[in-house]
Amino acid sequence: MATSVTASLAPLPTATGLFDPRAKLFVYLVTFGVVLLATELTDLLWLNAATLLAILLMRAGEDWRRALWLLSPTLVLFAVIVGLSDGPLNAASAVLRLLGLVTVSVLFFATTSPTDLGESLLASGVTPTAVFLLEGTLRFTPTMVLLVSEVREAQASRGIRLDGIDLLRNGVALLAPLLADVMRFADDLAEALESRGFGGPIRTPLVEYRLRLHDWGLIFGVAALVVAMATLRHA
Amino acid sequence: MAEALIACQGVSYRYPITGYLALQQVDFSVAPGEFVLLAGASGSGKSTLCRLLNGLIPYLRGGEVGGTLTVAGMDPGVTPPQQMSRAVGLVLQRPDAQCLATTVARDIAFGPACQGLDRPTIARRVRETAEWLDISHLLERAPHTLSGGEQQRVVLAGVMAMQPRLLVLDEPFAFLDAAGASQLRILLHRLHAAGVTLLVAEHRLEEVTGAANRMLVLHQGRLVADGPPQTVMAGDLAAWGLAMASPVPAPPPDLPLTASESVVEWRDIGCERNHQPVLRGASLSANRSEIVALLGANGAGKSTLLRHGNGLLRSQTGDVRILGQSIGRRPVAELARVVGLVMQQPARMLFAATVRAELAAGPRALGRYDPAWCAQLSKRFGLDPLLERPPQMLSVGEQRRVAIAAVLAARPQALLLDEPTAGQDARARMVLYALLRECAAEGVAIVMATHNLAWAYPLCERWAILAEGRITIDAHPTVILDQPELLRHARLPTTLARAA
Repeated sequence: MATSVTASLAPLPTATGLFDPRAKLFVYLVTFGVVLLATELTDLLWLNAATLLAILLMRAGEDWRRALWLLSPTLVLFAVIVGLSDGPLNAASAVLRLLGLVTVSVLFFATTSPTDLGESLLASGVTPTAVFLLEGTLRFTPTMVLLVSEVREAQASRGIRLDGIDLLRNGVALLAPLLADVMRFADDLAEALESRGFGGPIRTPLVEYRLRLHDWGLIFGVAALVVAMATLRHA
Repeated sequence: MAEALIACQGVSYRYPITGYLALQQVDFSVAPGEFVLLAGASGSGKSTLCRLLNGLIPYLRGGEVGGTLTVAGMDPGVTPPQQMSRAVGLVLQRPDAQCLATTVARDIAFGPACQGLDRPTIARRVRETAEWLDISHLLERAPHTLSGGEQQRVVLAGVMAMQPRLLVLDEPFAFLDAAGASQLRILLHRLHAAGVTLLVAEHRLEEVTGAANRMLVLHQGRLVADGPPQTVMAGDLAAWGLAMASPVPAPPPDLPLTASESVVEWRDIGCERNHQPVLRGASLSANRSEIVALLGANGAGKSTLLRHGNGLLRSQTGDVRILGQSIGRRPVAELARVVGLVMQQPARMLFAATVRAELAAGPRALGRYDPAWCAQLSKRFGLDPLLERPPQMLSVGEQRRVAIAAVLAARPQALLLDEPTAGQDARARMVLYALLRECAAEGVAIVMATHNLAWAYPLCERWAILAEGRITIDAHPTVILDQPELLRHARLPTTLARAA
């Protein structure tokens, strides 16, 4: 029976992953908040160790390594500035907090696609407009990257350099066509959305999401852990 | 007689802010099942009328609508487009902005989902529409990885899945090559046969006249002709800014090649993208005063080959030589002194506050600004009345003239043009034709990637066909037209009548 239902819904997407995206979003927001509020070096060390373990378990090590590589200059700069102004202990805390925030974010986004998240939020009654903001970011980022590349190429072809220090001098040659094209694109997109019936109060989610027992287990487990940690801290 | 699907009586429309009167006293009606070609030059009001039919105007744009318009029993002036979309499907020009989701399947499902249909119905519609439009194999692909022609079919599928009674297409052939245009013609024919009412706004008349059973012509916002296509086509098309491909004048004589005259030369260029070969040993050259058309289907690698010509892309194998010297690792900005490239979308090249400043920007960056030469170019390209206007506010045809003039202002010896006629009406194409002839007469070597064979025929001394990553033939146009199998192999039209 289940097979025939699935077959009748092909080629629509199906739910993927062990946990519901909303359960993961809850855990992400809570963990993000805890890392942000933690002040003790030992707490931050434990939190980083726990999230890193989760990264390994979810096989998101490559994503984490790439994010860290991109962020490494910022981390170093951050450490130097805080170290010079507030001492090495505070610098270590600040770096660990930033590292923890990056790690939980990587963990969430490496295991949850914005499309799945959007669909699940749609099922929870979030408005189609808010959900499209999330999906649209994912859909149109490659288009915008292509656009930037084409404008750079067009200006280089005219002898206008846009690399290194020249970017500061000739920045308007990149920004003006980019802005004009993005505005035109937004205009076309608005028309396309209206023409496809977007803007009404409803939009059927393409995937049926339901919070199951293990999702609730994850939500309550994490909530209980945070409450227990907070109680122990203040005891 | 069935009730009219579109009833348009004395409809006028004035845009807000500019006050431009885009439509004036337009009267016509369309019965269910008709296939209507809405013809007209750029700026004639075609796109405005298309947007009025599904309520985008005045809902998104505002402005003043006069007269009475009823579409599928609804008044688009007071009915939101979201509700109009249940009866009127609109396919706009730019396919990349109309693919709304992260996969093709999700994109086709977008409209039915917004209609609030249940999942099994949405799934069935996605399946059926994809099969019908022959895109089932693309369902899991991301729209941004598709070609323009594929994206357009996805957009059409997304609109068709909403099962509208009226399907309106705004210049659907604008960015399609011959193969894509042929596929779309077949699709439109099938849709019409299936009972869908079609209204296609287009200035490439020959693409649609054979299939449509009625033709409307808009000229400066007024409906100037309405009747069977054969009857309307016998009217004064030139006066309305429309022109068919024929009669076609003869191409320029074939000039003998000499190596010393070569300005830019591609030698055995090989190139891969995403581990797929795009070019496999493509060779081509352009001599002084010569105009060469680089022909090929969408995705054949024409733009890639052009981008090697000014160093934007570096060949993985082979060599590019400019004035007999290998370009090596010389920067693009330096090569721009000799080779100018005008991209398919001229707006992406324009950034200055005025056309005057735009003409000066390139030469200034290269340290060779000559006000007298810029003034001469401005006059020749008809830009004098536009000199103080912002380039981004001009029409596409005007922007293309500005972009070409801005590149020529740096006095390059070779000019590379990527699809110079895309989205341009007959009048703009004629202006461009004359300008390129003048440039060539002054010694500039011109290579242009185009799928407009009828336009390129009288203009070019040579045609070079790019197929499967190689130049399969490089010869005088008459020689190539005598070999239809080569054109067919390259997915190009075999006769000029189908090629404008």
